[in-house]
Amino acid sequence: MNLKELKEILQILEDQEITEFELEQEGTKLRVRRGESKAAISRPLAAGANAQAPHEVTEEAAPDVPIEPPPVESGLTIVKSPIVGTFYRSPDPNSAPFVNIGDAVKIGQVLCIIEAMKLMNEIEAEVAGEIVKVHHESGQPVQFGEPLFTVRPSS
Amino acid sequence: MFKKILVANRGEIALRVLWACKELGVPTVAVYSEADQGSLHVRFADQAVCIGPARSIESYLNIPAIISAAEITGADAIHPGYGFLAESSYLAEICEACNIKFIGPGPQAIRLMGDKSRAKKAMQKAGVPVVPGSPGVVEDEEKAIRVARDIGFPVILKASAGGGGRGMRVVRNAGELPPALRAAQAEAAASFGVADVYIEKYVVGPRHIEIQVMADSKGNVVHLGERECSIQRRHQKIIEEAPSPVLTDKLRRRMGRTAVEAAAAVQYVNAGTIEFLLDADGNYYFMEMNTRIQVEHGVSELVSGRDLVKEQIHVAAGQPLSFAQKDIVMSGHALECRINAEDPYTFVPSPGVIRHFYAPGGPGVRIDTFAHEGCEISPYYDSLVMKLMTHGRDRTEAIARMRRCLDVMVIEGIKTNIPVHRRILDDPDFVAGRFDTRFMDRFAPEKKAVPSAS
Repeated sequence: MNLKELKEILQILEDQEITEFELEQEGTKLRVRRGESKAAISRPLAAGANAQAPHEVTEEAAPDVPIEPPPVESGLTIVKSPIVGTFYRSPDPNSAPFVNIGDAVKIGQVLCIIEAMKLMNEIEAEVAGEIVKVHHESGQPVQFGEPLFTVRPSS
Repeated sequence: MFKKILVANRGEIALRVLWACKELGVPTVAVYSEADQGSLHVRFADQAVCIGPARSIESYLNIPAIISAAEITGADAIHPGYGFLAESSYLAEICEACNIKFIGPGPQAIRLMGDKSRAKKAMQKAGVPVVPGSPGVVEDEEKAIRVARDIGFPVILKASAGGGGRGMRVVRNAGELPPALRAAQAEAAASFGVADVYIEKYVVGPRHIEIQVMADSKGNVVHLGERECSIQRRHQKIIEEAPSPVLTDKLRRRMGRTAVEAAAAVQYVNAGTIEFLLDADGNYYFMEMNTRIQVEHGVSELVSGRDLVKEQIHVAAGQPLSFAQKDIVMSGHALECRINAEDPYTFVPSPGVIRHFYAPGGPGVRIDTFAHEGCEISPYYDSLVMKLMTHGRDRTEAIARMRRCLDVMVIEGIKTNIPVHRRILDDPDFVAGRFDTRFMDRFAPEKKAVPSAS
């Protein structure tokens, strides 16, 4: 299930004013409940579009596939999380993200922060290139090995 | 009750904890290494977090990753299982600092019992019989010889910080002692980082009898009888049973009372096991205390009808014990065979993929396993594949059921020690209950001549 499909499902649920919905397919389970603000692992959607009623969205990860396996074009590199924690795109809530799609990055450049046990860990690029995809929003939990960025290496 | 429990372990014990949580209606989080992606504990938990690559030190022993996984999933309790971090006072402390409940005893009890010579001193102070030995660590050879003469040869040298046979030497006379002391100290330093060695009387041919205790945070301590664990190879248990074929009711009551006093003396909370050596004359001596749920806890559950893991969770959640000593009634006899992925003749580990799998049911059978057809037994972790337990009205029936299960069990694609168990179950000494910790030396002698305790 990718973000586009998820958005489509949520739009349908909103249009039909459905309060509770569960879908299980091929190792992914999606459960949506409207009205309660308690979140398990919550994935905040892109701001604006579906901001009407608070949705509680819990997507349980397929155990034998990392969350959201991106199709990898040949030659592209995936930057994976080396630790477990919470992903942040910028150094603090008021700053711009470290990197955006299209940015060129050098080896050693800080791409993001992963917070673990109250410590902010800066994740650095190990490959120079261009950011092609950003896999998570700020505040999302990430596990070991989770894809964070897709990079087109420059060399 | 907890909002969510994270199981900081893998394999069969992770499943065991999941079962207890599911029965209590508590949501669960599994953590796993990349090697365990398809493992059953990952599939059956409500949430799963990958915490590292295959190597244990980077995954199941990785405290920051585990605490982080608890934080991002909102788990308010961690069950450490056995092995890995189950006896890590460091994990217990960090949990306290992060407001996560460690399902087990407090860090002080873990630290105290983890230091073998301090533990022994604490037990002595509490009036628990201990193996006669040196008052503490012994460093120089002259003192060692004096202490050994007082105790009486043969003696055994043991590493203060360790276990599992390393840093141990049996010494039969004063002449053997100086080189043995130096060797034990070197081995202790290499294996555990601390060269401290102490001396104990070497009890020849003891039985290993351990008592299961359970304590709550209100000061209630109960024992759930003994387990006989004398069938061991290189200090690794292979077969356990409850009750012991040799304990009289009187001895059982005395040892049970001693175990309860020992736990109370250190203000113990949650599940624990006191290990004793029982000599041929019926004298028992404190050996060590294990501050965790153990592999073999299932045989105690079978004869007592109690769920020890659920009780651990209740106790950790602040509830009093759900039973008093008088409520513990033992029934029948239980046996456990540890089925390992190893060559039955050389005992060399045998990782691989299980191609065909059949485990029998029927009356009096309990199987705790994470194995299934297609399951990969990887080389990174221990070789325990399955705990095969049987329960019967008496020991004869438990043995007959175990033989029947071993005969029809199918685990193909890896080698297992099933043939070894089958032979033990036919051995006349085993069947007669006539054995001690030397049984496996006779049954499957080591190829090389070993001059001291292996």
